[in-house]
Amino acid sequence: MSSTSQKHKDFVAEPMGEKPVMALAGIGEVLGKRLEEKGFDKAYVVLGQFLVLKKDEELFRDWLKDTCGANAKQQGDCYGCLKEWCDAFL
Amino acid sequence: MSLFSNMSAEEISYLLDEHGIKHGPVVDSTRNLYERKLKEAMAKRKQAKPSPDKTFYREEEEEVTYVYRTPTKSENFMERPYMRSKTAEELEHSASYSGYSRSSEYRGRDYDELSHKLPVGPKTAPIRSGQDAPKAPKSPRLIPLWVQFLCFLAVAVFLYFVFSSMESSEPLKVIE
Repeated sequence: MSSTSQKHKDFVAEPMGEKPVMALAGIGEVLGKRLEEKGFDKAYVVLGQFLVLKKDEELFRDWLKDTCGANAKQQGDCYGCLKEWCDAFL
Repeated sequence: MSLFSNMSAEEISYLLDEHGIKHGPVVDSTRNLYERKLKEAMAKRKQAKPSPDKTFYREEEEEVTYVYRTPTKSENFMERPYMRSKTAEELEHSASYSGYSRSSEYRGRDYDELSHKLPVGPKTAPIRSGQDAPKAPKSPRLIPLWVQFLCFLAVAVFLYFVFSSMESSEPLKVIE
């Protein structure tokens, strides 16, 4: 947890509301575009997927990799971000 | 995978459980992921076990080929290592009984009788022992059986000798 980015801290600080998918930690422009093309245009849709995968790290990482080609670090960042958000607000 | 696309969500869910894959509900957005996981799991299983029959036969093969190749030779060859490993312990026990010279005859006979049967009971084992040594000079053992016997007896005699010499000597009293 020592190496959480500013993006991560910003995301978990408040309810996500209508934030775009690119607001998620680990999801930049390229990955964000790919996710949007697949229909995941908002952060809460990715959250929905995260929850449907029962908040399981391995499943979510695999899914993210399949869907937008995220590498291991990006997968980890995104998972960590969503997990912490859930812990705080869900 | 066309194999999975005809399956219902419940079937996929069932298969995931079968393979021990942790999963959530199989919905549109998760289906692809689970299908891929199942594909990988099945491929892995196939690699691990080329065919269950093969493993089975491999275990049996050692026995089967011996029996079928040459009935008389192979039986002895097959059973002797098996039997010897078993009877090695029993032989050491039976050494004290000193009835071993007779019993090996039974052993030779029993080989022919039990050629088709592989699991030889432990009950019959004590009857048979080392008479094979004079009968069959060639044995798969590195050290022939009778040599082992001789060593055992030699050690026993030696220890007895030491003990008896201790008894008769004075120093024993000093120690006490």
